[in-house]
Amino acid sequence: MRWAWLMMAGVARRLLRVVALTLRGALRARREPGELQRQLYQVGNRSLLFVMVTLGFIGMVLVFQTCLQINRVTGDLSQVGAEFAKILVHEFGPSLTAMMLATRVGAGIAAEVGSMIVTEQVDALRMCGVEPVEYLIVPRFLASLVMTLVLSIVGTVVALGMGGLTAYSSFHVPPSVFFDLSRVRLGDVATGIIKCLAYGAAIPIISGFCGLEARGGSEGVGWATTRAVVSSSFAVIVLDFLISGVAFFTLQASG
Amino acid sequence: MQLLEVRKLHFNPAVPPVLDGVSLRIEPGQTVGLCGPGASGKSLLLKILCGLVRPEGGRVEIDGLDLCTCSSAALRAVQSRIGMLFQNNALFDSMTVADNVSFPLRQRAIQQGIRLDEAYVRQLVHERLRAVGLADHADKLPSQLSGGQRKRVALARAVMTRPELIIYDEPTAGLDPVTTARIYDLLRRERDETGATVIIVSSDVEALMSFAPRMVMLYRGCLRYDGPTDAMANSPDPVVRQFVRGELEGPL
Repeated sequence: MRWAWLMMAGVARRLLRVVALTLRGALRARREPGELQRQLYQVGNRSLLFVMVTLGFIGMVLVFQTCLQINRVTGDLSQVGAEFAKILVHEFGPSLTAMMLATRVGAGIAAEVGSMIVTEQVDALRMCGVEPVEYLIVPRFLASLVMTLVLSIVGTVVALGMGGLTAYSSFHVPPSVFFDLSRVRLGDVATGIIKCLAYGAAIPIISGFCGLEARGGSEGVGWATTRAVVSSSFAVIVLDFLISGVAFFTLQASG
Repeated sequence: MQLLEVRKLHFNPAVPPVLDGVSLRIEPGQTVGLCGPGASGKSLLLKILCGLVRPEGGRVEIDGLDLCTCSSAALRAVQSRIGMLFQNNALFDSMTVADNVSFPLRQRAIQQGIRLDEAYVRQLVHERLRAVGLADHADKLPSQLSGGQRKRVALARAVMTRPELIIYDEPTAGLDPVTTARIYDLLRRERDETGATVIIVSSDVEALMSFAPRMVMLYRGCLRYDGPTDAMANSPDPVVRQFVRGELEGPL
């Protein structure tokens, strides 16, 4: 028991160190030229199609199921679009995009950092006077912060569009009725943006940390990657719960 | 680098101890050969010497700065003055050979806030790659090179910034005799040019003894021999004698 607590305290301490170094490095001006652009491309463009396709299908399924249920009860589908837009903006858009990024970006970061650990490349970085967290995690952190927001916006738009298409083709809801943004309040947008930033920060830090903790050979890298995906997906869900809870009583209270 | 001193080094992640009470003092400009049978703690000692691994007890001092208690910024500053050739090369596999070799130089410039002249860097990289016989391979990735070529790239990277202390971990492991001779020739030239302090680990004891005037032998995590190379073969300690002569009969 005591041993388990000590180990958990050690992990928490090292994770906090990575968080502190990442935040400090992000605020500092000294950067590797070109590295940020490369990571923006890696995190952003490479995930664009993936996010669009996934969110498109999720939009279709959600709208289809909702319309099906409502048809059984009241048959009034005029409010589906307005409510769907609202919940997409403050909940599904950011959270589902982040879940997708947690698997794709998280696995990529953990595998890359982890294999650099087991081949001593991270030690070689240290011997060049480079702080590994600053060199490896900070550019990915900044890129993820920007790209989670951008991809969430894209994902939300695609999900809404595909949802509208489903409502029109399967339930004959006219687009002029479906695409109704009047329910989306400033509080919803703010909640969505806060979630994006929280997810965008959590995914690279947690995945990078899992990569840095990799030990042993290729098996260790595999473990690190699995742990990164599981932990960052879990972090997205927990953050979603916490931010939703707080926002419900503050930002969204008036709406 | 004034002086490297290790006093009473303990490291025991498990029982039996990997390193137990190793004390060393290395003066600037000295070349020290570190040898010992497998799993005697050589690589670990090197990692502790350059601050990559923290020992559980004892102290490592470079220029009077204790690596075990100093801040991480001070540690990085000391480490950037040490050139390290890793046992498995540890080349950055996402970078070309030229980028690998220039990396320490560029990082030092970033840390000191200097803007490097691109033409100067390219010239210097070309010069160093030519010295290790790889001038034509500058734009290749490490995965496209042979083992000996990779070792030479790693060597060029380790000495790029003219470090005051150079640590070589198995510079010739797994290489053929001609390449081995070539690598030792490079090491010798590098040492004579810079006058740097050198610590070198090798299982090739014969080559090591012809390169280093002072030898240190580790055996089961303890210091078994520390003295001039010439006296080693006639040491009163049977373990040392057997190891150096490579005899089958004996305590080992």
